[in-house]
Amino acid sequence: MKILGLIIAVLTGTLLIYTTSDFPSWGDPSSPASTHLSPHYIEKTLEETSVPNIVTAVLADYRGYDTMFETTVIFGAGVACFFLLRVPRRKEPVERLYRHTLTGMTLRIKDLDEVPENLDEFERIDTLWAPYDLIIKTVCRLLIPFIQLFALYVIAHGHHSPGGGFQGGVILGASFILLAVSYDLRTAKERLREKLGGILCAVGVLIYAGTGALCLLLGLNFLDYSALASILHVDPITARSHGILIVEIGVGLAVMATMIWIYDNISSEGKYEEGL
Amino acid sequence: MDIIVIVLLIIGLVFFTGGAVGILRFPDFYSRLHPAGKMDTMGSLFMLIALALFNLHHFTLATLLTSLKLIVIVVFVFLSSPTAIHGIVDAGVRAGLTPWTKGEKRR
Repeated sequence: MKILGLIIAVLTGTLLIYTTSDFPSWGDPSSPASTHLSPHYIEKTLEETSVPNIVTAVLADYRGYDTMFETTVIFGAGVACFFLLRVPRRKEPVERLYRHTLTGMTLRIKDLDEVPENLDEFERIDTLWAPYDLIIKTVCRLLIPFIQLFALYVIAHGHHSPGGGFQGGVILGASFILLAVSYDLRTAKERLREKLGGILCAVGVLIYAGTGALCLLLGLNFLDYSALASILHVDPITARSHGILIVEIGVGLAVMATMIWIYDNISSEGKYEEGL
Repeated sequence: MDIIVIVLLIIGLVFFTGGAVGILRFPDFYSRLHPAGKMDTMGSLFMLIALALFNLHHFTLATLLTSLKLIVIVVFVFLSSPTAIHGIVDAGVRAGLTPWTKGEKRR
């Protein structure tokens, strides 16, 4: 079986390498891409889509179909990580550690029904507990809002400067991961629950595909945002610009939720009980 | 104005050079982290302030905004870089790495 797999892999690789000889050579100025496509994008992007950043216009408008499946791939990575790592039921009896904040005494509780009576004075801690670090926690608390603000700026400003849904989504996800690193996983999960994260992940892809389907319903091609002009009450060219923003928001949501999802599953070994 | 910019850039470069030499030459983990933190914080602090000043040659609203953004970067680097170094040192102490003392071999 392994040998068969090897043969298939080698054959496919050979075929792929063989076909590359038919490609135009790299950077060839007389290739079809350089003679027809690139000049069209460079000269016509601003008047066709009213987006100053050509990269964003190509990514989310001209090649929108491609980007939609890139988002789906990211969603698929999150789902795969979830199915591989998440442990649905606890097999061994759960032990939870509670630390008395005034005395530093730690209680180990095996039965879940008997939680400490006066819970205000106790805090739940991880097995590998690290003492409270004032510097790191304070600085992270101070920085996280600015990181999230910057992420939203990157998403919304993708029309004019480098950035867009993928980059902004990653920064937004990193801010939640920073919260989980500087505090612990439970604190981060209180801010964004596991279920909400999964739903957001799917909603992001749905926004993208839904925008495309809406264009189809309004009588134009899939992901041809000029169809949205009648809904948004703008001219078709501005509608393409707005359509790009809508799908970028979807991409940002999907990327953010997937980042957090993968991090949580890996850092807690799929248990979501403790972790960084 | 130009003289201030040049002086600030040179101070920043001194910090960066010292940091680079320090990372290579210091004997162990903790002492190597010290120049790493200094370099990021003080070096980029002086150089970015110099660039922000240099940018104000043509004083308009646009250049003022760019300079303000540079200053904001300075503030965030000033906050995050020492914190990161602190976190790394903390992790080293918790993992049980003992500091280097005089007479030991470099590591």
